[in-house]
Amino acid sequence: MNNVLKISVYTMWDQMRQKSVYVLLGLSVLFIWIIRGCYDGGYSINGHMVDNTTVAWHISKIVFHLITGGMFLMVSMLSMKIFSRDQEDGSAVLFLSRSVFRWHYVLGRIAGTWLLCLIFMFILHATIVLTVWAKTGALISGYLSASLVCSVSLLFVIACVCLLSLFLPDFISALFTFGIFFVGFISDGGYQILNSDLLRSAGPAMTNPAPALWRVLYPKVFMVQAYADAIIGNSDFHNMGPFHPLLNLSFFILLILALLLAGFHRKEI
Amino acid sequence: MILLDCVTKNFGTFTAVDNVSYSIQKGESFALLGPNGAGKTTIVRMLLNFITPSSGKITIKGLPAADPESRRHIGYVAEQHRIPPYLSGLDYLSRHASLIGLSGQAAKGQIENVLEMVSMKGRERKKSATYSRGMKQRIGLGAALLGQPELLILDEPISGLDPIGIRDIRKIIETLRGQGVSIILNSHLLSEVEKTCDTAAILYRGKILIKDTISAIVKDHETLEDVFFRYIEKENE
Repeated sequence: MNNVLKISVYTMWDQMRQKSVYVLLGLSVLFIWIIRGCYDGGYSINGHMVDNTTVAWHISKIVFHLITGGMFLMVSMLSMKIFSRDQEDGSAVLFLSRSVFRWHYVLGRIAGTWLLCLIFMFILHATIVLTVWAKTGALISGYLSASLVCSVSLLFVIACVCLLSLFLPDFISALFTFGIFFVGFISDGGYQILNSDLLRSAGPAMTNPAPALWRVLYPKVFMVQAYADAIIGNSDFHNMGPFHPLLNLSFFILLILALLLAGFHRKEI
Repeated sequence: MILLDCVTKNFGTFTAVDNVSYSIQKGESFALLGPNGAGKTTIVRMLLNFITPSSGKITIKGLPAADPESRRHIGYVAEQHRIPPYLSGLDYLSRHASLIGLSGQAAKGQIENVLEMVSMKGRERKKSATYSRGMKQRIGLGAALLGQPELLILDEPISGLDPIGIRDIRKIIETLRGQGVSIILNSHLLSEVEKTCDTAAILYRGKILIKDTISAIVKDHETLEDVFFRYIEKENE
């Protein structure tokens, strides 16, 4: 276990040596700060003026999801090269020529990448909280717990991209993972829309048939996002099937990690 | 110390190592000789569990090579040793020291020692991206020497080194031999092998043609190079 920790720290440290990480973080924080102007009033719906707090509430939620989406992209870019880069630059030999189990190495690399991205995302989400607070005086702490919920999805992305990168070219493995997201987005997004309060209030004509089994069992990245949204708004969450999306995603993460460890065990260094 | 028992490695239909068996005793300085593609590096990679044998068994100090514990007292220098370009030589050595379990003053002291031994003192804080191939080899050797290894695996350690570097490495090997460290040396430079090793095996197309002490292999008025070519030519007939 000690080696897992050491390799995690090395992984985070190596990424943090790159100036681009700080530049990206700085630009993202700046972007979130700049769009605070959108939180001001001046919006009207059906002729009624919308107050600042409501505007800030909705826009900050959109920004929250945009940040998470951006983090999915960033984390897939970071994870797709973990093994191929280590093979090329001698890092894999550095670790594995010592008394380090292969699973130590794999888990250390994944944990380090995840922790770094989790911290990065948390800082950005915390910036939203501070910006909304500064602008409206409302402190919405739900964003922070929602951020931690979204970090489970980040771990899923890392594990998935790493597993696929054992068999596919790096970029294709990231693309394939986004394909998995896209299918979930259509399936779970459709379900969320059909169960939205707006459509439900449309009347009994709107019937919502039970979803197919594959949709219930499919990796619930989008549903985790919807759950995070429900945490922020302290609203009802419409789950699909008997399993909570966090449970569903945790199962897939464990399954993918098991396949990854088995696959990497046979990998030639 | 090391036992290879009927080890074979196939890459698809190509047999890189063919039913190789030999053992290396503690304190033995053993050279693996052979032309390019003979299977020398494949054997080294199997010893370090970078690849697994298709059949046969490899044990190091009684432990299977797949057990990371078997690598606890092994130092390894790869042919064209690669160091992550964003690390300095010092960072690289520190990571090795940490993975071995050295920390604090013990790690610092050993790193200083090996930097002195491989003549990299004063250049250890530069990024490895700025190092020449020979400097990387030296840092790689330094990393291999950390933790007082009982077995040193050197895969073409002098490739890319200047004559001074070659002499330095020869001296280090001689010192380690004196300390009872077992050495496996893969090399094309037969004259170097003759100077530094006790035993040698000639490997050709994945098979061991001969394994014995160098004094037994090399007859009167012959060099190791003569013997090497005699065996290879005989095999080609």
